[in-house]
Amino acid sequence: MTEKERKPRAKDVQRGVWNPETVAEVKYKAEMGKHRIRGCGSTKKYPTFDDLLILPSQLSRLSIDTYREDCKTQTVLGARYAKKPLVVETPILISGMSYGALSKEAKTAMARSTQIVGTSINNGEGGLLPGESENSYKQVVQITPSRMGFSLRNIEAADALELITGIGAKPGLAGHLMGNKITKEIAEFRQLPEGIDLHSHPRHGDIFGADDMVLKVEELRDVTDYEIPIFVKIAAGRVREDVKIAVKTGVDGIVIDGAEAGTGAAPVVASTHLGIPILPGLVQGVRALEEMGVKDEVSLIVSGGIKDGADVAKALALGADAVAIGTGAMIAMGCVVCLRCHEGNCAYGIGTQDPERRKRLDIDAAAKRVANYIQGMTYEAVILAKAAGKTALANMEREDLRSLTLEACAMTGVPLVGTNFTFTEPFGFF
Amino acid sequence: MVRLDIKGMSTRDVNRKLRELILQDDEIVVENPHSVHNFATALKGKGTVTVEGSTGFYTGGFLQGPTAIIKGNTGWYTGDNMDAGELIVEMNTGSNCGPSMAGGTILVRGHSGSRAGWGMKGGNLIICGNAGLWSGKMTLGGRIIILGTVGRGIGESMYRGIIHVLDPEVEDKLGGNVRVVPIDDKEKKEVETLFKKYGIEQAVDGFRSIVPKVYGRHEYFLFKPTHQQTGAQS
Repeated sequence: MTEKERKPRAKDVQRGVWNPETVAEVKYKAEMGKHRIRGCGSTKKYPTFDDLLILPSQLSRLSIDTYREDCKTQTVLGARYAKKPLVVETPILISGMSYGALSKEAKTAMARSTQIVGTSINNGEGGLLPGESENSYKQVVQITPSRMGFSLRNIEAADALELITGIGAKPGLAGHLMGNKITKEIAEFRQLPEGIDLHSHPRHGDIFGADDMVLKVEELRDVTDYEIPIFVKIAAGRVREDVKIAVKTGVDGIVIDGAEAGTGAAPVVASTHLGIPILPGLVQGVRALEEMGVKDEVSLIVSGGIKDGADVAKALALGADAVAIGTGAMIAMGCVVCLRCHEGNCAYGIGTQDPERRKRLDIDAAAKRVANYIQGMTYEAVILAKAAGKTALANMEREDLRSLTLEACAMTGVPLVGTNFTFTEPFGFF
Repeated sequence: MVRLDIKGMSTRDVNRKLRELILQDDEIVVENPHSVHNFATALKGKGTVTVEGSTGFYTGGFLQGPTAIIKGNTGWYTGDNMDAGELIVEMNTGSNCGPSMAGGTILVRGHSGSRAGWGMKGGNLIICGNAGLWSGKMTLGGRIIILGTVGRGIGESMYRGIIHVLDPEVEDKLGGNVRVVPIDDKEKKEVETLFKKYGIEQAVDGFRSIVPKVYGRHEYFLFKPTHQQTGAQS
């Protein structure tokens, strides 16, 4: 044996704790004396909907013809108290992403895509871009703690409101928009000094507690003449407790944002270590609504890492009424998930405010691609639902699911494949 | 003038009635408010609503033009998200007065709790008495005037806007990322005009102003060793 064979090179040794990423993080902190900010959210591997499988119909039930029979996809959200609930043609919504984090062109393209497929877009933090509301099929207006660019006029343009208490990518924190994206235009839109690093409020200045939120929701009902739905968005954490409190505030629907969710900028430590993934988050949310006897009354929307129609079908089977996508829509427009949204130099004209880079995004082409993506996802969900014997996506049920892994089984209460076995609380019809 | 007794009415009915009456009459007097919450939400028009008593939380939220005079106290979040008009509180307000207000004027003749003008974006917030901690936190615009003492953390991380104060010890109570500067002549005139309009007898010479420290990057301390000040984040 040669000396070289006896003594492997350092780079060939398998690394545990001190892997290259950890070493880089230590060096970053040693040099900068602070935490790292990064775009796109967590890169951690979480349990996913892929850990669940859908049971196809065979002799025990009949399947629906994939290409020749109907499967209803139209979805009604927020009908608990609102006179005009949010009606969309597919249960796939576009989640809140701000003008500022994203370019005007990206926001406009996504809004146009909603016209094509008949769904909603959410404006996110930082005001309602006219190009968005003029082009959207259904407009959700987010009420963020910072209230930047927020006014009664925004509410009047809304088909639904979303009162946000947290986001999955950095729960407990709020918006970070780095100075390189606070251009003159964005600064004016948000009333900020140009070039400043923005760290938004994590708490609403007019909601210091859940009891106050009851009154706030009443106020918003009054402002909207009790017409449009009011949702509350929470980051997945203590979901069971938070959902029950949210129900008591009188909202029409609850959005649960999992730890997989994306963002334009967040402390890496927050994205990586705060919050729980959407799979257990959704199950806890459904359980909470069922324990309160309001599952059919309060709409449940989930977001965070939703990537394909299988995720949609499984989320609906577990009890969601709809899902919301963010990163997926950006990828459809060209994003390569380079984790550098916070730098503002997006080469695809999506996560940038640089005029030259923005020109690279063809709005109509991008709109078509996002619409195609949502359509393709809906097709996939429909294929799975029909194979499971459903004539409506909303008819997907947890009995249609089995867990592929012990982890998913323990986390969701959905029986392990080939068994009726579950850990802890069962979440099937067993 | 029209009188409206709201005893026993739901908030929804109160606001519906106010919206109806303000189109018909310039002056509405409200009786028996019994600290009703969400009073005069998003009220539009140009009349005056005078409340003979106190109102609760979210008084005058999203106010769009009229003048509301509350002869008693108001609860938390007075004038939240207000766009235009006047909200005059003859006594005191609870905490978080004028959060995210974008325009108009809130005048508090008494004291106000903590976090007055939180995230304020425009308009005027005048507090004739004392204000609690964190007044003007993270304002994006507008003007806050405090005649009494201020609490700690005043102006924390203001992005824009100005706070005029008389408190001689304000330097000891400043929040991060703000500084104290002399009030200039233009500002004095603007404050004098407001005082004259609302009958506030106070000379403006003693005022100083709190403004954002930097128009660049804010500095935060996530770690404060007590033996020396290090650990600044920007």
